[in-house]
Amino acid sequence: MFPWLTLIIFLPFLGSLLCLAAAHHRPLWCRVIALGASLADLGLVILLFFLGLTPVSGPLGTWLLLEDYPWIPSLGISYSLGLDGLSLLLILLTTLLTVLSVLVSWRAVTERVDFFHFLLLLIETGILGVFLSVDLFLFYLFWEIQLIPMFFLVGVWGHTRRLAAALKFFLYTISGSLLMLVALIGLYLLHGGQTGHYTFSLYELMDTSLPLGTELWLYAAFVLAFAVKVPIVPIHAWLPDTHTEAPTAGSVILAGLLLKTGAYALVRLAFPLFPEAAGLSAPLLVVLGLAGLFYAAWLALAQTDVKRLVAYSSIAHMGLIVIGIGVWNLVTLNGAVLQMLNHGLSTGALFLMVGMLDERLGTRNLAEMGGLWGKMPVFSAFFLLFAMSAMGLPGLNNFVGELLILIGTFQARPVVAILGFLGMVLTLIYVLRMVQEALFGEPCTEQHTWDINLREGIILSTLALALLFIGLYPQPVLQILGPPLEALTEPARMLARRGL
Amino acid sequence: MPYDLTAISPQLILSGGCLLIFCAGAFWRPRPEGLLFSLAVLAVVGAGSAILVGLPAAAPAFQGLLALSSYSRLFSCLFLGITLMTLLFGRQYGKTRGFAGDELYGLLLLAALGMLLIADSVNWVIFFLGLELLSLSLYILIAIEKGNAAANEAGLKYFLMGAVASAFLTFGIALLYAQGGTLEIRPSLAAVTPAGIPWLLAGLAFILVGFGFKISMAPFHLWTPDVYQGAPAPVTAFLSTGSKIALFVALTRLAVLLGEPAWSYCQPVLWGLAVLTMAVGNITALYQTRIKRLLAYSSIGQMGYLLMGLTAVKQGALEALIFFLVVYAVMDLGAFGLVGVLSGEREDLDDLEGFQGLGYDRPWSAATLAVCLLALAGLPPTAGFMGKFILFRAVLKGGFVVLAVIGIITVIISIYVYLKVLVALYMQPAARPATLPRTGLAAGLATAAILILIFWLGLQPVPLLTLISRIAGALTLI
Repeated sequence: MFPWLTLIIFLPFLGSLLCLAAAHHRPLWCRVIALGASLADLGLVILLFFLGLTPVSGPLGTWLLLEDYPWIPSLGISYSLGLDGLSLLLILLTTLLTVLSVLVSWRAVTERVDFFHFLLLLIETGILGVFLSVDLFLFYLFWEIQLIPMFFLVGVWGHTRRLAAALKFFLYTISGSLLMLVALIGLYLLHGGQTGHYTFSLYELMDTSLPLGTELWLYAAFVLAFAVKVPIVPIHAWLPDTHTEAPTAGSVILAGLLLKTGAYALVRLAFPLFPEAAGLSAPLLVVLGLAGLFYAAWLALAQTDVKRLVAYSSIAHMGLIVIGIGVWNLVTLNGAVLQMLNHGLSTGALFLMVGMLDERLGTRNLAEMGGLWGKMPVFSAFFLLFAMSAMGLPGLNNFVGELLILIGTFQARPVVAILGFLGMVLTLIYVLRMVQEALFGEPCTEQHTWDINLREGIILSTLALALLFIGLYPQPVLQILGPPLEALTEPARMLARRGL
Repeated sequence: MPYDLTAISPQLILSGGCLLIFCAGAFWRPRPEGLLFSLAVLAVVGAGSAILVGLPAAAPAFQGLLALSSYSRLFSCLFLGITLMTLLFGRQYGKTRGFAGDELYGLLLLAALGMLLIADSVNWVIFFLGLELLSLSLYILIAIEKGNAAANEAGLKYFLMGAVASAFLTFGIALLYAQGGTLEIRPSLAAVTPAGIPWLLAGLAFILVGFGFKISMAPFHLWTPDVYQGAPAPVTAFLSTGSKIALFVALTRLAVLLGEPAWSYCQPVLWGLAVLTMAVGNITALYQTRIKRLLAYSSIGQMGYLLMGLTAVKQGALEALIFFLVVYAVMDLGAFGLVGVLSGEREDLDDLEGFQGLGYDRPWSAATLAVCLLALAGLPPTAGFMGKFILFRAVLKGGFVVLAVIGIITVIISIYVYLKVLVALYMQPAARPATLPRTGLAAGLATAAILILIFWLGLQPVPLLTLISRIAGALTLI
């Protein structure tokens, strides 16, 4: 069996080393190498769709592709990667957004180009690893590896207050992860103690029977680590600062991908590993999701920095995803995962556009903008499209995901669904305000604006096509998601776990 | 039984090499620095190969004084590796500051001999001799830069502290001898009669205080930052890895050999000391703005993790402890060694401001320093992460949940410390003239070795773990 997954994970890493080694002081080479590596990786992922993969069940669960090699046998650690529909879609998003990040940095990043692309591709490797690992030790390794390059990306190429932002980002996320590490080892030891077989395999650890108290503690540590990444209010404070200070590519990766690793880990790890604790604490998660939706939307209303506004809108959207995960039925879960993709595309696109605005106007202050519609019609049209997508207008991607989450939630918890709907109305208000102040109104004084060039056009139309595709014809995506999500929500296994 | 001198050939090679260097340095004018350096490297490599190939697999105790066990052989190799690295890091450094010569190389070999004796000792006298050999060499090595007032002060401080520690140790050993009537370590750790237990515990307490000074365990750590800051960077590297690990190796042996009921008195004490050392080291490091003081407190913090492992040593943490000792040696040696490499021609880099922009001016050395710091912080995919992971796993498996949680919280606190240095290296513009010293060949080799080892141990720990699990079983048999 050809190691497709290993190749996909480590191809960007090879590219990053090439950037560093071959292309010192040759910025163009770095860009070309990085673009080549990320495009090749995207190509590989697309190729997976044409391989005609069928799910195969084995001792490690049901996967489309599985690679399993012993790594540190004495500690029960193996190098196992698994691909199913869920991870397939997320790695597609990852590779796509990385290509766009390389493209968007083509002119924006002029200093230490080799180091920049080295880090960018390194993050890609880390994120791909998170989405594909089915050994929890390996998962943890990739989970932390993605932090270090992001820290540098914000700290070196960020804006004026970048140091504080980078440190805040790192300390917030690492605090959560290290406590998770303790819980992870705890789970592993409990499982080993019960079965005599020490392993970090996700599938086998799901069969651990835990006393409720222990399960709650372990679950809390896991959720804390993931909640920091999502981020779930009240531990979101790092995100607006980090976004505001990060370079555009950093923001795209952060919003589009890093946040997804948190939500993905909730779905893949926290709920399946600790079903009882998850069931008990689901109302809390739903309430926190709602709180995030309202609180972040409320704050977004008050922002004058357009990047900060998008950052808060990002938290609000993640709140809805958290609700979808918290309710945990097939419909909401479909919606939540779909919404992860949508959020990556739409918020990623908005951050890209804000970056382009910053390049042109030299400001991100909404008060200093206005009248762009007349000066940059194509740019403005794209901006409007992505803004509409963020508002959840029918025909665009977010509508499908949000609708699924709300329908599924309405069946289980009608009040939550109604409140969630109200939260989306708030979204409407602040996004409209952003569009109004940026595109229309009194024209700004800045004369050196130019409409989008070919490179930017390619970036934006790729995203626009993706938005329209999911908005108009989400069926293929949902079809891919079907089997893994059904397996996750299958009641039989949950009951078996509880010994009923 | 006749003397089987081949059994102690590593020690003999080191002594011979050291004497040769001193003689050549004394009588050969001008002093042949290159020859002396090669001689020192040759002696270390020779001793290392004597350990690896020359000895029978299970050598017996030598005259009841030295146990040439697989445990001591592993650490002897580690000590020789540390010495070799210090030689490599120290050559260029010493040459630019005018102290590379017979004193530096000869004393390093002498210190290495001391560490080997400590690792091998099954008799308190040999242990004490090894310790004094090590300490005496270090007193001079710290103050080897004669014109440097700070280094002289550091040397004096270490000497005074060392004298106090030795006094405590000697008194502790005397109490054990009074109680047990023997200077052999293993029998001296058992109470002859129930009435002897208080004497045994008192002796152990004194010994622990003596050890505590030497391994800078809180609350006996206060000398550490001053001495580390004053000493030349390569010597600091040697001091913080070699001498501490040697003492820790002996301490671990004591813990393993100590039987009930004494151990059940000692364990809670170790628990408390581990918590204290982790907390003090890592929290105080937050407030440091000078690199060597920062790294000094960080190394105190790392000692705390080792003490945590020691607390759980009877619950199966021995292998993890040994692994972490090796990892600690690599990363701390790298951190201090590279501070030396990155320092200018005269004084060591001191304030964090001195590091600004170095990440781009000296990419390889700075990157290796950054990797060492990430390893000390315990981030993957470095050896530091693997070491901490294995250690925390063992401690949790031993049932010390509270200890492990406190430990992980101090790890979180410590991460900020290391990030501060990374920020200076990579994220703040330089304010420094462009003339930078070049990294010499020897230091370059050492840098590469550190870099490779950190990633290799972080990603493929299996060979070392397999070796250690063989050794750990044999330790109790000494």
